[in-house]
Amino acid sequence: MSQENTSKQYVVDTRPLALVLLSRLNRPLRLLLGLGLFALVYSMETPEGLSEEGRKAMAVFALCLTWWVLNVLPLMITSLMAIALIPLTGIMPAEQAYSLFGNSAVFFIMGAFILAACLMKSGLSTRLGLLFLQRFGHSPRSLLCAVFLMNAFMAFWMSEHAVAAMNFPIIMEIVMVLKLRQRRSSYAKALFLALAWGSTIGGVATLLGGGRAPLALGILEQYEGTNPFTFLDWTLRALPVVVIMLGVGWLVITRFFPIDQDSVADAETALAEKVAKLGAISRDEKAIGAVMLGTVATWVLAGHDLGLANVAIGAIVLLFVFKLVKWRDVEEYVNWGIILMYGGAICLGAALNDSGAATWMAQRTLGLMADSPTSAVAALSASSWLLTEAISNSAVVALMMPMGLGMADTIGLVPATIAPLIAIPAGLAFAFPIGTPANAIAYSSGFLRLRDIILPGAIMGATGWVVFNLTVRFYWTWAGYIHL
Amino acid sequence: MNASSAHLKLELAMRGLRLEQGLEAAELAAAGTEPGGDNLVELLLPGDLVASCQVDKGGDGGSRHRLTVENDRFLLRTGDDSTPVPVSVVGRPEFYAKTTSAGTKMNRLGLLHGDFLAIDPASACSFAGKSKPCVLCPARRNRGATRRKPWPLEEVLEVIRAAFDEGAVEFIYFRTGHYHDDDGGFALLEPYVKAVKQHFDTLVAIQVSPPSDAGWVDRAYAAGVDAVNYPLFTFDEKSQARACADRCTQVTREQTQAALERAARVFPRGTVWSDLMVGLEEPTSTIEGIDLLVSLGVLPVLSLHRPSDLASLAAHPLTDPDDVVPVYAHLYKAAREARLNLQWLRDLGQAVTPLEARFFAGDDAKLDVAVSSFYRSRLGGRAARSLSRFRRRLRVKQVSDSFDSSQL
Repeated sequence: MSQENTSKQYVVDTRPLALVLLSRLNRPLRLLLGLGLFALVYSMETPEGLSEEGRKAMAVFALCLTWWVLNVLPLMITSLMAIALIPLTGIMPAEQAYSLFGNSAVFFIMGAFILAACLMKSGLSTRLGLLFLQRFGHSPRSLLCAVFLMNAFMAFWMSEHAVAAMNFPIIMEIVMVLKLRQRRSSYAKALFLALAWGSTIGGVATLLGGGRAPLALGILEQYEGTNPFTFLDWTLRALPVVVIMLGVGWLVITRFFPIDQDSVADAETALAEKVAKLGAISRDEKAIGAVMLGTVATWVLAGHDLGLANVAIGAIVLLFVFKLVKWRDVEEYVNWGIILMYGGAICLGAALNDSGAATWMAQRTLGLMADSPTSAVAALSASSWLLTEAISNSAVVALMMPMGLGMADTIGLVPATIAPLIAIPAGLAFAFPIGTPANAIAYSSGFLRLRDIILPGAIMGATGWVVFNLTVRFYWTWAGYIHL
Repeated sequence: MNASSAHLKLELAMRGLRLEQGLEAAELAAAGTEPGGDNLVELLLPGDLVASCQVDKGGDGGSRHRLTVENDRFLLRTGDDSTPVPVSVVGRPEFYAKTTSAGTKMNRLGLLHGDFLAIDPASACSFAGKSKPCVLCPARRNRGATRRKPWPLEEVLEVIRAAFDEGAVEFIYFRTGHYHDDDGGFALLEPYVKAVKQHFDTLVAIQVSPPSDAGWVDRAYAAGVDAVNYPLFTFDEKSQARACADRCTQVTREQTQAALERAARVFPRGTVWSDLMVGLEEPTSTIEGIDLLVSLGVLPVLSLHRPSDLASLAAHPLTDPDDVVPVYAHLYKAAREARLNLQWLRDLGQAVTPLEARFFAGDDAKLDVAVSSFYRSRLGGRAARSLSRFRRRLRVKQVSDSFDSSQL
């Protein structure tokens, strides 16, 4: 019987029983904590300067935030609950609350997921990845570099965690073929970190690398009534951070995990076999590639006029018109739960903003730390980065955006600048497996110990924060993206 | 009285007993269908010690222990002049005479030992008779034979149900011969264990070969196993090679040690044990084995090796029980010093548990005996089963749950 089918299915927690019991009681306690905070805020006297709807919105926010951060329920279920609670508590009418789900950002991210699903299902993304590695991975150093850059580049166009999941089997095969030893081989550790960190860094470059940016833009759109960012606008703000962090990432990986492998000839052979097995590129792959290129070009050149979501949906319609994809494939590859999560978070953000609760909270929290635009940038980006190391980066955006928008006017920042100030650092999670799925996927290989990730990851995260702030201070001000 | 019971158990294990005229071994034998089992009688000695004894048919020149009946009471006499010891015979339960719905006699599937039902679904062993006869297996499973098809699950459940209906058993003991696979034989037992846990409120123990993949230890616990036995047999590997060359090449001591170490972390303290056979190696070597096992958190259980045929006697001469008393005394002291729970293991007719070994160390171990007695009671049994379920629910996680909770 194979090991995969048998011995890996169960894990027995061998910690002292009292500790196990405590950790099992943890969930009911977390559940009660959220409910308790909700009851406390809901029943308290309305503070001066806050409307009754604002107090109720804060109560719902406290409940959702606690459950999002403490992972009590799946993120999307908490979000759905938020949509239901907003009309139930009288914050806004049901029609208005549910209509917020129809935000164009939700449909943009759904479109991006479906396009990524087509790339994966057709095998085009795997083919491109393999060809890239085969072309550049002739020595241990060049193969490592190829893995790092390939993952980063692919995460420009697909969700970073889809990239990590898709390329994980390739990296696993390479380390198996090279007979690298679990937890011992420095080169194996470097390869898996290159997979995780490459995806993570690349994921902040465009609006397609994950749900953070579209979610931030969705909340911004509800607040401002318009979305001032084009596809290119966002990328131009993020790209310098990405380029510098790729350099920093390479240095950190190779310093912490020196290459202890003399040859990758066996891996080259295995990659060549895999490429040969794929055969010639199919008509469908070519067609999907063409649609994808056309979509990206339209996003860049005419996204603002046509609407990012509209372009995405148009591309999907084209794929179905030409029978390049089946609905069953889309169902299988798209993370529908995350789309629900975004809808709920946008709705909650709107409730907080419309009721004035966001401004009220921001003045009493972030506002105390930031009395100038420069300190506000530092506080917002630091909060985003630190939170994203511990909780889902979408939850970070859902939490931080309403508060950031609430304090924008007070400290003299244009509200639109809040979105990248929060969403970009929210993508820079390097230090823990729980910070981002890409880290979790790499850690699940069994080749990395926790301590292999924590210290270098913390250095990466801190450096990322510094690089981001320097980028804002010098490049954004120079380009006129922000006035500090 | 009790001290002599423990000595008596060793004596009986080594020298067997004769039956008074009129007593038939086949009628008394609880282990009626085990190979050689029609010649095996289980006695309950004073102090609740179960002793498994070979019936010696050598007449007056044979064993000096004799089972007699007086006034409907069984008495054990040693020599001619000694005071008879009142004993009980672990009798043949009624379900032995029944058949399963497929027509198989139930005692071909399950055998009563003390208060547990022993079931060996496949009755085969990978190294029995491959090179030369193996002396490690007391049941002498299908020596030289290929494995037969395991008993159907439904039939095994029928036997267990019949045994419980009769009130004959408290828990189930599954065992296999040696399997030279990653799982050590547990893959075969797993469906039986799960089904028993699903249909009966009982505890389950298993004896399998030490798995080479420690993941199988976790899997056994998750499936519902409450106690586990990975036999070490001997500490000295050369002695083991002489006893069973095939096993020695297939199961290393490191493998056994790793499996036991993991099991001691996964299972409750005092529910992981390992057989050591006294008489196959020097007593000092057995003592080293005891020390190794207790250092791992594992209870050693000592059985006396008794060759079943004269040919084996040359290689493994009979051990004098008196010579190994210090080994048994050390067994108790070492287990006590390691603070292992001694109460769970009981009713092993062919071996001496650490708690039973207290007699050789001259200790009453009153608290352990009291706790053990409590767990024998109806209330204690229920408490043990409830605790076992609760502990398993707390400790076992499915990997897929972890992925779900991480919301990848």
